[in-house]
Formats: sequence, C-alpha cells, structure tokens
Amino acid sequence: MSFLAPLFLLGLLAAAIPIAIHLIRKEKPPKMVFSTLRFLKTTSKKMVLFQQIQQWLLMALRAGLIALLVFAFARPLFDSSLGELVDAAPESRIILLDASMSMHYADRFERAVEAAIDSIDDLGAGDEVGVIVFGSSAMRVRELDADLEGARSFVRSLDGPGMESTNYIPLMRLADDMLASSRRERKSVVLVSDFQANGLEGEDSGWQLAPGVVFNGVDVGEGPSRNLFLADVRSPTQLIEGKSDYAVLARVRSAGTVHVDEAVVRLLIDGQEQARERVSLSDASEQVVRLPLSFDSAGSHRGEVQVSTDDFELDNRYYFTLDVTPKIKVLVLNGEPSDNWFEDEAHWVSLALAAPEESSFTVSTINDDELTGASLEGVDVVLFLNGGSDLSTVQSAALSRFVEGGGSLFLAPGDRVNAERFNERLGTISPARLLNSHLPRGSDYLMIADMDRRHPILLPLDSEWNMRFQGYWNTSASPDARVIMEFDSGAPALVERRYGDGNVLLFSSSLDTEWNGLPLQGLFLPFIHESLRYLAQPSGKERAYQIGDVIDLSSIAVEAASLSLSTSAGETIGLDGEGMVYRARDIGFIEAVSAARSEVYAVNTMPQESILERVPVTSIQDLVTNPETKPVQSEEVKTAELMSTIEGSQRLWWWVLLLVIIILLVETRLANTSYR
Amino acid sequence: MSANTNFIDPSVLASLDNLELRARVVVEGFLNGLHKSPHRGFSVEFTDYRQYHRGDDMRHVDWKLYARSDKFYIKQYEDETNVRCYIVLDASASMAYSSGGMSKLEYGRTLASALAYFIMRQRDAVGLITFDEKVKDFIPALCRQPHLIRILRALAQLEAGTTTDVVKPLADLAMNLNRKSLVILISDLLDDEDRILKTLQSLRAMGNDVIVFQVMDNAELNFEFHEATEFIDSETAESYITSPAAVREAYLENLNGFLDKCRKKCQTSGIDYGLLNTSQPLDAALSSYIFRRAKSF
Repeated sequence: MSFLAPLFLLGLLAAAIPIAIHLIRKEKPPKMVFSTLRFLKTTSKKMVLFQQIQQWLLMALRAGLIALLVFAFARPLFDSSLGELVDAAPESRIILLDASMSMHYADRFERAVEAAIDSIDDLGAGDEVGVIVFGSSAMRVRELDADLEGARSFVRSLDGPGMESTNYIPLMRLADDMLASSRRERKSVVLVSDFQANGLEGEDSGWQLAPGVVFNGVDVGEGPSRNLFLADVRSPTQLIEGKSDYAVLARVRSAGTVHVDEAVVRLLIDGQEQARERVSLSDASEQVVRLPLSFDSAGSHRGEVQVSTDDFELDNRYYFTLDVTPKIKVLVLNGEPSDNWFEDEAHWVSLALAAPEESSFTVSTINDDELTGASLEGVDVVLFLNGGSDLSTVQSAALSRFVEGGGSLFLAPGDRVNAERFNERLGTISPARLLNSHLPRGSDYLMIADMDRRHPILLPLDSEWNMRFQGYWNTSASPDARVIMEFDSGAPALVERRYGDGNVLLFSSSLDTEWNGLPLQGLFLPFIHESLRYLAQPSGKERAYQIGDVIDLSSIAVEAASLSLSTSAGETIGLDGEGMVYRARDIGFIEAVSAARSEVYAVNTMPQESILERVPVTSIQDLVTNPETKPVQSEEVKTAELMSTIEGSQRLWWWVLLLVIIILLVETRLANTSYR
Repeated sequence: MSANTNFIDPSVLASLDNLELRARVVVEGFLNGLHKSPHRGFSVEFTDYRQYHRGDDMRHVDWKLYARSDKFYIKQYEDETNVRCYIVLDASASMAYSSGGMSKLEYGRTLASALAYFIMRQRDAVGLITFDEKVKDFIPALCRQPHLIRILRALAQLEAGTTTDVVKPLADLAMNLNRKSLVILISDLLDDEDRILKTLQSLRAMGNDVIVFQVMDNAELNFEFHEATEFIDSETAESYITSPAAVREAYLENLNGFLDKCRKKCQTSGIDYGLLNTSQPLDAALSSYIFRRAKSF
C-alpha cells in the first residue's frame, strides 16, 4: 500500500481529538441535583455497560471517520505492480566523477565518492552503470555493465583526485559515446563535481548529449572557500652573471568565495629565502609582488615562490629553474659595410645588441674578408649580414667546422649576395639554397603571412608582423630544415637547420632598410635578441612546466636506458611511451641525468584550477541537454507519476469515502440513541 | 378536564409573590371557566357538636355541655361547614426540585393555597399540615377568614426540608380526626410508597375521603437529559454518574411502574388520585377536588 500524498497522513493526529474529548468529558461530567436516584439506580447494569460500549464505539467511529478522511486525502493505492513498472524500463548510467586538482579542496573528493556510490545505489537489477574519473581528460574508465557491486568497488578503490584541470565537455562526449552502444531505454549521465566554472571555459561548440540522454548534476562544491594562489610567476628567462637588476614577479590572487586580505610572499633560491614581501589584498582581488634576485656566478638554480597558507595548500608554491650564463659572444660578419648607416646591416644589428649597460651580448664586428678560424674562437653566434658569396673555401670550411662543433650561424643575405656562389660556399650548412632575389614591381610588397608562433624565437614575440618586404630571396629549404616563417607568396622567410652540434638560421631578406622596414619596427630588437639567444642556447628550456605538459628529454639522452629521471624527493620515475618524453604529473622539480648532461625541470599546478569560482549545475544542464530529451525527472518524480497513474485506475479513495459515509450514518444513528 | 383559555400558566403564577393573590387568581380564573358546571355550590347544614381538637377556638366550647360530660365539646354553629378539609403538603428536599419553571414545592404551595382559598370560599373548614421527615406546621381546620391568612402565611414561610416521611403526619392526622374529613395529600410520594398507601388506605377506611395529588416535574416524568451527568440525590446527597440516553428507557419504565402502582393502589382503595405536572395549570387539581367534594358530601 502506498500513498500519492503521504503528507496528508499527518492529519491522522487529528484522530486523537475525539479520543481526547471522550476522555476529558468522561472525567468531568456535569453535576445535577435531582429529586431522587431511585429510578436510576434500578436501571439495568447491562444497559449502562452497553452504553459505555456504545460510547467507546462512537469514539472509535469518530476517530475512524477522521482517519479514513485523512486516508482518502492521502490517495491510497495498491503498489504491488509499481516495482514491476519501474523495473520495466532499465537504465544505463554513466557517472562522471570529477578528480581534477580542485577536488583536493577540503573533503570534496570524499563527498564525490559517496555521491557516486549513492547514484549507483539508486540503480537496480537490470540497470547498468559505467564510471569515468576525469580531470582535463579521462583518468580512469569503467565500462558500462550490470555489475553494480563492481562499480561500487571501483569507485571506492580510487586513490584520490589528481592534479589535472577540469574540462567537462570532452568527458561528456565520451560518456555519450559509451551510452550510444547501450540498448537500455533510459540513459543518463550523472556528473559529480565541484562545478568549477573554468571547466566550461571557451566552450562554444554547441555540442549536446544525444536525444533521450538525461543529465543530472551532483554538486559537491557548496559552501565558502578561501584560496590564495600564485596566478603567475615571471622569472628571467636567462640571467647574465654579474647583473643585479633581476627580479621575480609574482601575481598573488584571492580566488575563493571568501576574500583573503593579507598574505606573505617568499622567494627561495635553492631552498634559501632570498626575499620576502607582504601583500595587501584588502581592496583588490590580486596584487603583483616584485622579489629582487641576483647571482654572482653562472650555473643552474632551483627557485620557489611561496604564498602564506590558506585552505588550499596545493597552489601555494610555484617552482621554476634559473640558468645563469655568461654573456653571449656574437661575431658580426658585415658583407656590405656602407657609409650610409641606414644601408649598413651591421649598424642596425649593433644598435640592437649594444645596450648601454649590462647587455647580454658581447659583440664584435668584422668584414667578411677578415674571417679566419681564429676569429671564430670563443664565439657563440656568427651573424653573417649580406654576405657569403665572397667567402673563400678556407673561410667557408672554418665556418662549417665552427657550426659543426656547436657554434651557431645567422644568415641574412641581401642585395650584395650572389646566389650561386652563396650556395657553393655555404650551401652545405645553410638551411636553404638561394634561388633568386625578388623585388616586387612598383609599390608591390610582401608581408609575413604564416609563422610557427610556438617556436622559441617567436614565442616571446607576441606581436603582429605587419612590416612590408620590398625585396627577398626565393629559397629552397633543405629537407632537414624547418621553416619558421613564410611570406604571403609562400616563400620561406625564416628557416632553421641543425648542422652538426650547431644551429643555422636563414632570414630571406636583409637586416637593413633596403629591402624591408623591419629595422624600423619595435619588433626588430627582440627578434634579433631572441634569435641569437636561441642560437646560443638551442636547448632553451622552459622555466617551468605545468601539470600535464610534456617534457622533451631528447636533448638529455637519446635512449631511455641512458637516462635517469627522479623527483626532487629522490623518487625514480619512468618515461611515457616509447619517446624520450615525460608527461608532468606532480608538482615540484624533476631532474633528468644522462652521462652527457643533466637538467632540472620545474612543474607547477595549472592556475585555472586554483580559481574556485563555480558554475550553476543548471547552466551545464541547459547547455548539454538535448531539446528532444524529455524534461529531467528524478526517480521520485517518475515513481510519483507512475503511482498517480495507478491510483487513477484504482480510485481507492472513492471506496474510502463511501465507507466514511456509511460510518457517518452509523455514527448518526448511534449518537442519536446516545447522550453525545 | 378540557383546556380553557382562562387557565393560568404556572410560570405566570410563579411571578406573583403574594400567595393570597396567587390563590385568588387561580380560583377566580377556575370559577370563571366553571360557570356552566353542574357542581355549582352545595348546601351547608348544621349537624352536631363535636369533640374538641387541639387548635379549636376556645370561644366555641360549649361550657354547659362540658359541665355535664366533663368533656370539651365545641358548639357547631349553623353557618359552620360540614366539610373539614386537611391539606397535607410535602415539603421535603425532593419537592424543591425544578427543571426550570416552578419547583414542585412551589407548585404544591400554590395548589395548597388555592385549595384553601377555594375551600374557605365554599364556607368549608380547611386545615394545613406541612412536613418533611417530621411535621413542620399543623393548622387545624377552621372556617374563618383570619384562618385563611394563617394558612397562607404558613405556606408562604414554608421552605424545603431534608428527607421525607409521609407516613408520620398522615398517621398523626388519622389519630386526631374524629369525624369524616377530606384529606388532600400534595406530595411527590418519593418515599416508601407501600407504607404511604397503606396509611392512606387506613385513612380511607376510617371514612375519610382522600385525594392524592402526586406532583412531578416535567423532567422527572420525561427524563429528557442528553449529556452524561453526575446526578445527586436531593435528599441523600448520593451521586450517580450515568448517560441519560442510555438509561432513559429503563428510568421511564421504573418511574411509570411507580406511578402506576400509586395510581392503581389509590383507585382500588377509593382514593382519588391525580398526577400533576408542574408545567401544567393547576385547574386539574381544583376540578378533582370539586368532583370529590360533590360526590362525597
């Protein structure tokens, strides 16, 4: 027996009213002085007993009347067939369990596990369930099957959240794909998460679940949160020994739902505190802190920025590495010295490299005919401007040996170069062979149209290349060369090639103002700096990686057997797959050592995971639910609807009311023969 | 007796404080409705001396006869009635009961005063005995106007007593009656009815005419109570909790058995019996008296 409106059953308390009245009135009948009791006292005892029974019967009838009315209003039904009807539509359910880094906050993950198990418990025989544990990608997956106990064990066996960021949509796509293979009539996706807003960042694909797949969200991220984190730390990419004006910039941000006003930021180098600053966030959500930094000698160092503790420890540290190097020695070979400084490439380059003080570069300039093997000794990078075709074979051989031995060469051929002789002298080491120089007619010009912005040279140059190129060399890139930039004609503009242990760059135009306006652009100086720095330090590694980034270790060792990889705690870790790569999983330092060299890499959390801002469950629901899917109904609602249907056919309350009427008639008859 | 518009409702009578006035209203109203009655008046003839009774006016003692017989004889004057009537009124606690209108005692008091007034108006002698468990007032039967005032005053001052003993005043009266008299008992008879009726039968056997007016309240007769009630006996203070609806039938059965017994015993003994409901006019009682008076005297 079930009820459509069980709350009405509270009205059963009212059945106590006639009982109470009966008992109260029984205790205190009114008194009356009567002439004599002689005719009363001789009445039959049976009659009195019967009347007492009658009163109890009346009381029971009245209490029963109320109870039956309450019963009728509660809409009773026989639910013997309910279970069968509910079970008649088995369900396939995918539980998406958020195990991103933000789930480390407080007891969110433990609550998520409980919620997932509760969701499994809601299912019954014939239903099937699958589980996807996710961050930015699927971390663990259990396929759909009817083994509910197995699914519970799977969820209970989870170690804890990972360090990944959150990304909902791809995982819901996966869940949708898994459900597509199910033949169950009802399909649902249950997302158990803290519903971090960044999990939907940039989501505008318009993707939705398949029609009929119901979305349910279980929010385990309710409540206030306090979190300070290092939104960004900028450390110098390359430190030159003896320079003193370096600093680490740390951006501290309060990202919880409860604002944190005060914090202390510390800079540690190799475990020793080097600077400390107090930040006040009383009137802002974030503040940038400058932490001074200096080194007296070259070498590699481990840096760490810490912010004072809060409720979320994971993102309170930022790790980075520092390489302090000597100044880069640059030899400029000027192929076309000119009295007109604006037509002299060396003039423009020297302007870019010769900073007034503390330059990272030591520049010496000679004419190309002055080149000897001795002049290349101690040089890191040779910058060959508008020349090459006039080199002697000895000079070209010296250059080849220089590059082969680890030196680097930047070629910028201009109008003075003869293509044939250039190719003859430098063709073996040049990334591309010169075909012909090209000067567009009239006012025609070329633009840089395509580039590899992730290249270490271009990565820091976050700017538009909108200068005009009136002249350039058509080139043919070597098969082993890498084109970094192209003109809008499709011709390579910047080509790279590794030769021996050295690197060679070819810029297909001049570095003065004869063929292009590049020297007049603000981009010129950083382009020259980054190009030379790249050539001098081709390994130019990242200062810091983030969780999930792939660290290329091929520069450390050519095979895994000769590589030793360990965490800062000394724990040995392995490579991923067959390549010489490692995907960062834990924050801290990773040290890669081979017989030839060693390197330290810093791994940090992803700042977006520290932003605990949340998105309403309904927003995701509206976003992913297909319009053709029927409105979401909980099990309770479905059961209630089913009960309503069954109750409608049974109409027990009619019979109950009929019984009430009969009892009412009996009560009336009985009451009329009684004193109440 | 048929209904008459001149009959006075008991509730109206109850509003009249002056008992004499109340008696006159009853009697005059009754007589106005009786003008066509064949029982208009009756002769009053001189008959004999009679022996002195306590309360007789000493002025009427025939001293000459006393000298000869050494007994007190009261000289009967020509205008003296030949009917001696004693009104015996129950003033026990049960008579004080009222369900809303006149109490039984008030009703009996009014009836007694009306009868006294009427009897005196017929030039008959009337006396009064009131009692509860004992005799409270005894006024011998005389036929003088001041005597009526005395009776009315006694009735006016009468208050309900405690328990009932109907037999004792009747027995006393029987011992003192030396000539044929009319005894009118006004009571609810809520005592040992067998003893009461036996005493009344003795009175009747002694040649007296007896009229019994059993006064009952309407609630006693119909027992129309609805709520469960703790009933308290007015005379014994004994209590009894019951449901009236449950016992009504048995109560009425018991009551009617009692009333029937009283009525039948009276009838078989030649006693005129009348059951009076306090909610009904008093005329029925007066009619009964006239009927009895005409038949017997």
